Amino acid sequence: MEMPKRKMRIRALMIFLCFAVIIALLATRLVYLQVINGAELQKDAIEQQTRDSQVASKRGTIYDRNRKALAQSATVETITANPNEIQNAAKNNDNVSADKKVDIEAIAKNLSDILQLDYNETLEKLNQKTSHVYIKRKVEADVANQIRELNMTGIYLEEDAKRYYPYGSFASHIIGFTGFDNQGLGGIEMVYDSSLKGVPGRVVSLKNALDTDMPFQHEQHIDPENGTNVVLTIDEVIQHFAEKYLEQAAIENKVEKGGACIVMDIPTGEILAMATYPGFDLNEPFVLVDPEDQAAVDAITDPDEKLNKTNEVLQKQWRNKAVVDAYEPGSVFKAITASMALEEDVVKLDDAFFCSGSKQVGGRTIRCAKAGGHGALTFAGGVTNSCNPVFMEVGARVGYDNFKKYFKAFGFGEVTGFDLPGEAKGTFYADDAFNEVELATASFGQGPTVTPLQLVAAVGAVANDGKLMKPHLVKELVNDDGQTISTIEPTVVRQVISEQTSDTMCTLLESVVNEGSGQNAYVKGYRMAGKTGTSEKIPRGNGKYVSSFLGFAPANDPKVLCLVILDEATAGSYYGGQIAAPVVRNIMEDTLRYLEIEPQYTAEEAALLDVYVPSVKGLGLAEAKQKITDESLKYQIVGSGETVKDQMPKMGANLPANSTVILYTEDSQETTVTVPSVINMSVSSATRELADSRLNISLAGVGSSGKNTSRTYASKQEPAAGATVPIGTVVTVEFAYQSED
Amino acid sequence: MKSNIATAANQRRFKGRQPASTTRRKKTATTRRSANALTRTGFDMGYMITVIVLVVTGLIMVFSASYPSAYYQYGNGFYFIQKQAQWAILGVFAMFFTANFDYHRYAKLAPLLLVGSMVLLLAVPFIGVEVKGARRWLGVGSFTIQPSEITKIALILFFAYGLSRSKDKIKKFSELLKYWAILGVTFGLLLLQPHFSACIIIGLTGVIMLLVGGARIRHFAYAAVPVIAGGVALVIMEPYRLQRLTAFLDPFQDKLGSGWQIIQSLYAIGSGGLFGLGFGNSRQKFMYVSEPQNDFIFAIICEELGLIGALVVLALFLILIWRGIKIAIAAPDTFGSLIVVGITALVGVQVVLNIAVVTSSIPTTGIPLPFFSAGGSALVFLMAAMGIVLNVSRYKKASP
Repeated sequence: MEMPKRKMRIRALMIFLCFAVIIALLATRLVYLQVINGAELQKDAIEQQTRDSQVASKRGTIYDRNRKALAQSATVETITANPNEIQNAAKNNDNVSADKKVDIEAIAKNLSDILQLDYNETLEKLNQKTSHVYIKRKVEADVANQIRELNMTGIYLEEDAKRYYPYGSFASHIIGFTGFDNQGLGGIEMVYDSSLKGVPGRVVSLKNALDTDMPFQHEQHIDPENGTNVVLTIDEVIQHFAEKYLEQAAIENKVEKGGACIVMDIPTGEILAMATYPGFDLNEPFVLVDPEDQAAVDAITDPDEKLNKTNEVLQKQWRNKAVVDAYEPGSVFKAITASMALEEDVVKLDDAFFCSGSKQVGGRTIRCAKAGGHGALTFAGGVTNSCNPVFMEVGARVGYDNFKKYFKAFGFGEVTGFDLPGEAKGTFYADDAFNEVELATASFGQGPTVTPLQLVAAVGAVANDGKLMKPHLVKELVNDDGQTISTIEPTVVRQVISEQTSDTMCTLLESVVNEGSGQNAYVKGYRMAGKTGTSEKIPRGNGKYVSSFLGFAPANDPKVLCLVILDEATAGSYYGGQIAAPVVRNIMEDTLRYLEIEPQYTAEEAALLDVYVPSVKGLGLAEAKQKITDESLKYQIVGSGETVKDQMPKMGANLPANSTVILYTEDSQETTVTVPSVINMSVSSATRELADSRLNISLAGVGSSGKNTSRTYASKQEPAAGATVPIGTVVTVEFAYQSED
Repeated sequence: MKSNIATAANQRRFKGRQPASTTRRKKTATTRRSANALTRTGFDMGYMITVIVLVVTGLIMVFSASYPSAYYQYGNGFYFIQKQAQWAILGVFAMFFTANFDYHRYAKLAPLLLVGSMVLLLAVPFIGVEVKGARRWLGVGSFTIQPSEITKIALILFFAYGLSRSKDKIKKFSELLKYWAILGVTFGLLLLQPHFSACIIIGLTGVIMLLVGGARIRHFAYAAVPVIAGGVALVIMEPYRLQRLTAFLDPFQDKLGSGWQIIQSLYAIGSGGLFGLGFGNSRQKFMYVSEPQNDFIFAIICEELGLIGALVVLALFLILIWRGIKIAIAAPDTFGSLIVVGITALVGVQVVLNIAVVTSSIPTTGIPLPFFSAGGSALVFLMAAMGIVLNVSRYKKASP
């Protein structure tokens, strides 16, 4: 052997250099992979290594203004499975002890039994190639616990929330409802979704490539942030009044297209109640309320068409008429036209007009609601009696530009920025289409369309010293401790008319209720103001009407305003003054008392105030007589005893003053009588008729005003005619004014 | 274990400096007869320390990388490290033996060793243990060896023997062809298993030895034609190789299929960043990276120890190669020199190819990382080879 040659050494060195260069290149490659491209690779790696599950946040509660919960969330659990984990575990059965073996079929059996699911479907889910499937969502705690106790491989329980609406269909169009993922799908639930939903928490855990948790790593928890609670301006009690009377009226008048009602606090623009009839159960929003709709859907066989139809009727069901549906306001709008005219000083209250029953405008004859016309009357009389020709003339005096200006100023043609979805703008004529005829009809509320909400806000401005308030539905946002996070302050949009005009308008509108077309809205003890409205729907001539009444009180210091709309009444009268005004009266009467607004009775009202029937049972006759006359009541004695054995009405009943209490002085001698019909009688006739049958009368409706109004007739009585009752029984008779608007 | 080796080495070095020792004198005398005037000195310390550091680091990383797969597959996180530690101990004995076994004796043994290893290779396809579609192992139960590992060393010894004997004959193409023929036969036997990656390693090692041994470079240009043709033929025969090739070009194209292995490796490397996730903290070893304790262990090193750790490992290998080349240059004779060149090339080629695969710099092929991959018997043969290098490092030509 010999020494390595020089050439060999050089070649060996060259080999080393080659290796050194290659290793340097590889080192460069590492720098690229680990430092330059490292963050990106790491991001992708972490994505595959982590299981990121959400922890539902508790959705905020929706309260009424007195913090009564209208929508609440409760904790439920969602059962999920990791099929990959189960399948991998099952594959590894040979390597583990008997108690650790995994039987996919047994898991499917347990799940389907406890959760009442189809076994085959469940098994199919567990055999999918995925790492996450829902087995069943929103499971109540007791059922979920049964699953938990079995401690099955790859079966997980996740906290979830379920929305409950304790009052069912109450305020359904306002509150809205949530979907399967607790996302708001309508109403406040949708508009305030981002506040209500909170921030879901996360559990980030590391998993290996077999999709099971890594044994040595800890989970990272990020706690959910609970949603904010929303306090509405709605008063649950007033909302209840509104819904109750609206429903009654809707059923009584057989409305075809439902009805709407808004009650607003005038000084602030806060909505106290807002109802759309019919409501729907918020817990079952997808159940069709109208049996006709359900029948229509059932009749369709094609699945696509069926789905379309279902969506269509659901959209109708969820439609909040008070905000979404623009309509022709009819004569209620005269309150706006009158305000413009007075503000512009183009008319005085005692300006003379003449109504012949129609008026020629632009070559067309436009008729008054009253056939034959109102004859000679003042502007004030025109408002009180809702005379169309007067308003056509007044509209012409206001002129195109001012009419448009005020129309806009009162907030029509623009959304109010209300807290509910889908608010309509309403429509007005394009400039070139706004001519003589259009101005004339628009003056009495036909032509332009407005939403009920816009109308409420605008008339609210008329009553509120001319200040247009922004109507709103949310009062404040509060956290779980009840602390206010933010408050929605009342917002003045603009001063539309002067205080003086406002005062004049309040007086005018009060006279509508006192002596005009709105008498059925009369509420004893309160100075009601209001305006009737009846508008024929387009196409005209089909006999379809929107009947409405807008009232507010007290007229000298307006606090509460109420609008009721009945869409296509079909049970007889369709005049707003006849069918909508009583609804407003009922809602306002209950609401004003509930709000503890002090009643102020006129002398006539005071004379008719109910008195409290004292107990005279067991007393000597003389003493009993004295006690009864002391209460401004009369008596009638039946029998010849010396002591009162029984009395009718009983103690505690409320009777109009000067009613008669029957005193029985012997046992078992009760006298009965058949109730006569007083329907369509005047107040005096009805009073006489019932007195003749030895019955007491309690006046209701406009009859209780104590004024002897013409065209006021009994419309309802209780007990009904033909009933057999003891003498002295109180028959409540409701009187209605035969309004023609 | 480490300290034992160190002590043994110290003792040996101490002995080496004691010409008074009788046994030593006897051995030196025999050696002197076969190679004119050689003196025996101590081992190359740098080389030995590098080897020891690599073996120990390798064991630690095998433990970390293998724990999860061992845990999930065998219910025992220590399954792989226990076996690997046993092989390492065996390796220490093997290294101790070869370091003290006069390398000149391999001259006579080389042809025999080569023939023997060929026989074993031939036997493998018939009596071998089949793992994942290839028969590469011989043995019983958990004690198996890869005959290809023996072949690698046998071939190095034989080439060194032949080249040192034939002097300048290798410059003739006809002489070179003989070596190629030996390589060709070896390839043929390996492809029966099939064991493509061993062909690459043995081929490259052989080429390096032939070049250093004096073969003409232009002769290798002639060989390019059949090699390329052969490569194409292999791809046509086994389409999965083409799949691996395309996976290398764009691994993200088929994320869950052919690209999966290499993407997982890149995720591990990228996750490491500059300083790594810390020892034991790899997440990719949880069944994401396939065989994290084996061919892809370098990815786990990158993930846990970061760029810094990876560069340290690369530096250790570079030192090993440098010391190897230094020993080869300083070797007293061509035979020793070529043995060391061969062994150094063997380690270097595997390191470079393994890391290139793991970093997706070349198509995926199953090449283990020396000292790190938990390959079992391969570590024993590797350490034996290290011992041979150490043995060569002990001889110097006696100064005249």
